[in-house]
Amino acid sequence: MKRARPILAVALALVAAFPPAFFAANHREAPITALDRLADIADYFAFVSYDDPNKVTFILTVDPLLEPSNGPNYFPFDPEILYEIKIDNNSDAREDVTFQFRFTTEVRAPGVFTAFVGALGGIPAPASSPAPIAPGTPLIPRAITSLDGPGAAGMVVRQNYTVTMVKGNQRTELGPEITKYAVPSNVGPRTMPDYPALYREGICNLGDGVKVWAGTADDPFWIDLGAAFDSINFRTTGFLAPGVLSPEQDADDTRNFAADDVSGFNVNVIAIEVPIGLINRVGTRLPASHPAATIGTWGTTSRPRVKVQPVQPGGPAGLSENWVQIQRMANPLFNELIIGTGSKDRFSMSHPKDDAQFASFALDPLLARVFNAVYAVLLGNPDAVRIPPPPRTDLLPLVQYTALHAALGGTPTGDIPGGPVADLLRLNTGIAATPKASRKRMGLLAGDRAGFPNGRRVGDDVTDIAARAVAGVLAGPPYNGFPHNRIGDGVNVNDVPYPETFPYVAPALSGRDSRHVDPGEPGGGPVQ
Amino acid sequence: MKLRLLVLVLIPFLASAATPAERAIVRAEKAVEQNAERPEAYNELATALARRARETADPEYYVRAHRALDKSFALAPDNFEGRKARAWVLLGQHEFAKALEIAKALNRQVPDDVLVYGLLTDAHMELGNYKDALESVQWMLDMRPGNVPGLTRAAYVREAIGYLDGAIEFMTQAFQRTNHSEVEDRAWILTQMAHLHLATGKVREAERLAGQALELFPGYHYALAQMAKVRAADGKHAEAVELLSKRYDAAPHPENLFDLAAALDRAGRKQEAQAAFREFEEKARRESAGWDNANRELISYYVDFARKPAAALEIARVEIARKQDVHTLDAYAWALAANGRHAEAWTQIEKALKVGVKDARIYYHAGAIASKLGDRAAAARKLLAALGAPRLVSQRGATLEPSRGQKER
Repeated sequence: MKRARPILAVALALVAAFPPAFFAANHREAPITALDRLADIADYFAFVSYDDPNKVTFILTVDPLLEPSNGPNYFPFDPEILYEIKIDNNSDAREDVTFQFRFTTEVRAPGVFTAFVGALGGIPAPASSPAPIAPGTPLIPRAITSLDGPGAAGMVVRQNYTVTMVKGNQRTELGPEITKYAVPSNVGPRTMPDYPALYREGICNLGDGVKVWAGTADDPFWIDLGAAFDSINFRTTGFLAPGVLSPEQDADDTRNFAADDVSGFNVNVIAIEVPIGLINRVGTRLPASHPAATIGTWGTTSRPRVKVQPVQPGGPAGLSENWVQIQRMANPLFNELIIGTGSKDRFSMSHPKDDAQFASFALDPLLARVFNAVYAVLLGNPDAVRIPPPPRTDLLPLVQYTALHAALGGTPTGDIPGGPVADLLRLNTGIAATPKASRKRMGLLAGDRAGFPNGRRVGDDVTDIAARAVAGVLAGPPYNGFPHNRIGDGVNVNDVPYPETFPYVAPALSGRDSRHVDPGEPGGGPVQ
Repeated sequence: MKLRLLVLVLIPFLASAATPAERAIVRAEKAVEQNAERPEAYNELATALARRARETADPEYYVRAHRALDKSFALAPDNFEGRKARAWVLLGQHEFAKALEIAKALNRQVPDDVLVYGLLTDAHMELGNYKDALESVQWMLDMRPGNVPGLTRAAYVREAIGYLDGAIEFMTQAFQRTNHSEVEDRAWILTQMAHLHLATGKVREAERLAGQALELFPGYHYALAQMAKVRAADGKHAEAVELLSKRYDAAPHPENLFDLAAALDRAGRKQEAQAAFREFEEKARRESAGWDNANRELISYYVDFARKPAAALEIARVEIARKQDVHTLDAYAWALAANGRHAEAWTQIEKALKVGVKDARIYYHAGAIASKLGDRAAAARKLLAALGAPRLVSQRGATLEPSRGQKER
């Protein structure tokens, strides 16, 4: 009857030091990433390259919602972060091939107040220049026209990066002889008069058919973010009820009927294009019917871990070569919309192979029940959006290999391991890209077999697809008819056209000239 | 009028003179008064009362904390924050197994709650589940790098695995990050830093830190104990007695009386020591059957002072069945050795040493047991380690001079 435990009072006295977990914005899905936005993964894409059926492109976007005008430092990658793209090629939800990206920052002119400066062919000090700078002394460097050499004199801050491929214990640096520069944000036309040239210069051919690109780009994602997170308060698109699209609206992949809240924002992008044979377990491109044609993939960010246990018994611990995973992403919106708030950090820090612990979230998503409740009120009918009862096996294509195969029409033959329930972006690399003219934003739901959830392209409308899937369209009748198959936020297309070639994301928007398209503006849909 | 003005002027100062826990209790009681139907108010009150228990070492606050939690659960059965507070209070009462059970359930329910990992760490540490403790505390630092509750616990774990410099590093970071108004928290961390510095032989640094803790939180019972160890290390046993006497006045618990009795013995005040030991034995035996006990001290008393090895082993068996932390393993081994069961004693003390702990007392016991087994090389190694690692003062203040019980074997 006495003692007072020592440590705990310190612990609970500091409860207030931790912000409560909260229902986060789209790109900041877990509290831990809300506190560490540089390590926050915004999106992850994987698809068979549009211009080469023998290659796959992976795109990891981080540090979301970058305001293009936000100088003077703009948006360097964090050299402390390990950025990784991971690939499972034998259906066990463990990485077999990993591409690692590490960045280094050069500060080339420490006395200059901004990261990027330049104009015309350079501006000297004028005749009125006070001492000690004599008139005619070069003052403002020439405009930035290149990532290296004389045209890069105005790049006060510059980043380069390394790419390492890891297969088992084997680590191979790709293109070690090539200096790979990250493409800076688009400051504006005076400083960077031909920004697309810088963007193109950022594409690095590393040999053996591998290309990489890293830098700031237009954020390829699009969504009515504000409406989605205002407890699914979608805008009135003029058809029946908010968040229900008319057939014409749904069929129009070229226009928006609500505001794209990501319009006008940039994001940091890491893109890599690799031959399919480099990443699958056979070593060559395989037909869609081959079991090994399907891969699972995800992206991660990690920081050095402060280890409690010394690396050597009795020796100093401190920073070790071990890393703590800050974030991971495979299926879009999975952590945001499926995982419960009290488990989001644990999810971010866990590995797909251990995802069985989160299966209950995936197979009975609360979001489905929210749809069910919200639309009952909106349409005055409790049966307006009936949802399938749990367990929601209709959602398995998102978390199991076999289910995706089935959804694709049973493409592979033979004994296909389903693998564990795991959040992986699964891609059948044997299914070639759909030509632009017949590409559908609704992907597989619209019969476009090269679209999400068979991988994910930059133009796939994952918001509408995910919303409809959660509402039950994959479960068959009675869940696959109206209004389930018309649910949508009204944002159907990106604010900037995507390039048709690597790196597939559009150049960064200009800091000086870009603008956001808000509700009520032309192209921004209604406010209400 | 002037007097009234003076009182009015003084009120804020008087209020600020209250301890952080006292202020928290006032706030929580007000919240209960205003929102008697809100379980959160009772949870806050329970937390504040448990904090006060640490400040004062008065167990009555735990009883009151439980009562507050009962009200919270009556309003909202099984509410999460209430269960966290319940686990915390149970840890304070040394009900480690019950606390662990609750903490595990809480962790399953909300895996992102950093402080629940802290509860898990504490329970695992006390029960001797060091691997689990390490895993839990690593989660704390992974999820929120630099968080103070995680740093203090990580320091505790590092100490247990023998990484004392690393423990000081984390504890120092925790101190730097703790709000200045949390004087008791800061004093507690300083006390822990003093303890760690003592364990690495830095007596003057320990003295400085314990002194700072006492300035921050005058009369702080934990800091008095550390300062007493400093004095004992300096051979100033009379001063150590004085400090431990003050500590026992503030926190009249049997284990504190044991320390006082041992200090009296070292100070040559044999009769007073005998009387104190007798009183200690009586008090310690009364609570020996519960989780919250002074059984380790009782074992030490029976082996090192009272020459009752059978009684020591009887108690050690009960204790080792409950928890297998390094200090309980050591006590059990010492009791076995006192009964001539040296091979079994070696098995037990080896388990403690395998954790990595660097504690003079444990090394000394290991050396003595190895010597009895005739393994002179191992005995020499352990005894040298005892001399080389910490100062000649163990956590409980025992000296490395062969104790009476040892001399007799």
